[in-house]
Amino acid sequence: MTAVLLLLVALPFVCAGLVLLVGHRGDAAGKGVAVGGSLLGLGAVLVVALSRLGEASPVGQVYADTVGFGPPIELALRVDQLAAVVLLLAWVVAALVQVYSLGYLAEDPRYPSYAALVLIFTGAMSLVVLADDLWLLLIGWELMGACSYFLIAHHWELREARAGAVKAFLMTRLADLGLLFAIIALGQRFDSYRISTVLEQVSAGSFARDELWLPAVLVVVAVVGKSAQFPLHTWLPDAMPGPTPISALIHAATMVAAGVYLVARLQPLFEVAVSARNLLAVLAAVTMLLAALRALVATDLKRLLAWSTVSQLAYMFGALAVGAWSAGVLHLLAHGAFKALLFLAAGSVVHAVGSTSMAEMGGLREKIPDTFVTMTIGLAALAGVVPLVGFFTKDAVIGGMWEARGEHQVWPWLAWVLLASAVLTAVVTAAYCMRAWLLVFFGRPHPHAEQAHESPWTMRAPLYLLAAPTAFGGLVLLAPGLFGPLAPADEELVHGAVSVVMTLLVMAAAAGTVWLWRRGAGTDPWAEAGLRIRPPHIPVDRAYDLAVVRPIGWLARGARGGDRDVIEAYVDGAAATARGTGRLLRLAQNGNVQGYLMVVVVGAALLAVLAGAVA
Amino acid sequence: MPLWWPLLLAALLFAIGVYGVLARRNAVLVLMGVELMLNAVNLNLVAFDAYFRDVLHAGQTFALFTIVIAAAEIGLALAIVLMVFRTHGHVEVDRLRSLADESAHTPAPEAAAPGAAAGREANR
Repeated sequence: MTAVLLLLVALPFVCAGLVLLVGHRGDAAGKGVAVGGSLLGLGAVLVVALSRLGEASPVGQVYADTVGFGPPIELALRVDQLAAVVLLLAWVVAALVQVYSLGYLAEDPRYPSYAALVLIFTGAMSLVVLADDLWLLLIGWELMGACSYFLIAHHWELREARAGAVKAFLMTRLADLGLLFAIIALGQRFDSYRISTVLEQVSAGSFARDELWLPAVLVVVAVVGKSAQFPLHTWLPDAMPGPTPISALIHAATMVAAGVYLVARLQPLFEVAVSARNLLAVLAAVTMLLAALRALVATDLKRLLAWSTVSQLAYMFGALAVGAWSAGVLHLLAHGAFKALLFLAAGSVVHAVGSTSMAEMGGLREKIPDTFVTMTIGLAALAGVVPLVGFFTKDAVIGGMWEARGEHQVWPWLAWVLLASAVLTAVVTAAYCMRAWLLVFFGRPHPHAEQAHESPWTMRAPLYLLAAPTAFGGLVLLAPGLFGPLAPADEELVHGAVSVVMTLLVMAAAAGTVWLWRRGAGTDPWAEAGLRIRPPHIPVDRAYDLAVVRPIGWLARGARGGDRDVIEAYVDGAAATARGTGRLLRLAQNGNVQGYLMVVVVGAALLAVLAGAVA
Repeated sequence: MPLWWPLLLAALLFAIGVYGVLARRNAVLVLMGVELMLNAVNLNLVAFDAYFRDVLHAGQTFALFTIVIAAAEIGLALAIVLMVFRTHGHVEVDRLRSLADESAHTPAPEAAAPGAAAGREANR
């Protein structure tokens, strides 16, 4: 078992190297290695994960460690129930993305590097999930940031792609400093970098209220960047110029999921750090509603999905902040399934239409029936329609928030704010899902959409494979012991009253959207109905521009000016002096040997006279 | 015999040799000037050897060395002079200017303007 864990971490990197080596020789070789490696990894994950579910105890091993100053840094891997399910999610989505990319990037000359980066991305996520050492986790965490940078910039000819990649990299990297300092703080406090050891000590020790606030708050900072929460939420929608399968990978299985995973994994730490939970709850409450409102008015299909990811991640953080641990993790898994489905389906739509703008879609229901069916399931799950997985997990989250009001997990008024925000977000979510569905698949076809064609089977098969868990995943809630001892035993996951109320609200929102759409004769429901929805535009990008980008620009210009006008002036002066002296000395080089000799003789005579004078 | 007689003679010979090397145009006569200088030195060596009554006769030995080297040198130099005459048709030293730095005596192509542009040009 422990050898399989090591294999899981090593395999993607080896396969990535192979893809890069053989990828340029021929199409089939690179594709074979990429897809084969992903499927092999998926097989290994199934071996690991299926035996870990239920009440099984965690398995881990320390393969190597460092000897030296301070607590040792270890190559330690460990898999428990939480790691097993997240690993399963990551590898399923990654393998499906690899298969999907066969069709989506069939003509792309940069396929080898793309496939290799996807493999490295998956490997980094495995490392984050399996790591039992904080530094090892940090390595995977940073590798994911680098991979997302390269993959978002896949179409680096496009200015937006480059800008989005740089933005994603800088924002997540800035937040990653939080994780670095959190690791140092935890290592100082507990004299160990082993996650399991640290968490055991946190659980066992009796700490004063908020004694451990510093590492917990630093972790929140790291997570806010990685999972695109307010105020670092703007990178995720701007990362949309990347290839669509990459969006599926980033939004569902890796990158942003890593943030939620980290909070879930360090749950004992958050149990004792109330201030960190309060901070997380505030950020989640702001982010979920803000992002949902941005999604409500988005005109670009992919940006709409990106904003919805930000909003749904805030749900998970809200649940984790109020102690609804299982609900948060289950929502992570459910969201992973339906958001991967939605992005892959959106990729299929984009493939068919050739544009991401929803204004250029419409009436695609009959043109791309498979995509229509699967995307309908995905959107319904996102909106929280009754039998689908999103319904159960979202209600578990809202139910958890409802029950947390009196438990003092967070400040009582904050629990109320969080609850109100979550309910309102659910309504808005239903509205924007319905709007996207109507705009893409119904109404008058746009001229561009006339020649739309269904995608190849490599792109349709993953859609159906993801539609299955999206449709039937709710059954998992019937087996609450899935996470074993990690999940609080008394956590209720199904809340009857909440479910009924939420279903009614979702139905009302959807019906209202349809009514507005009908009144507007099949175009954008908001515009035609005369509704001017202006979500609060919090100018964080502008603030960053003023506070960071411009001062750095001034500094850079100053440094360049100093280099050019001061330092380079000295260099140029030295060069000019040498050149002038050389020009003078060259005059003596006239080729007359007797002239040279005359200089030698006169010089020798002068030296002799000088020597005589001195002596 | 006082020491200064041969020394004066040697100095005169050396001065004549230097004058020959520096002022004669014919390469063969320049070589003769070189020989005069060498032999002036030989005279010095022998004179001091006799003056100090050196038991090892180092001065005479050195003089012998100098004679051998001078013979080799004159052989080589005359061969060069012969080659020069065959290629150039003359042996006039001050007309043999092929080692001159041509560009130093023609106008410079670009003025040495200090500043960024010129600096980058020079760096290439």
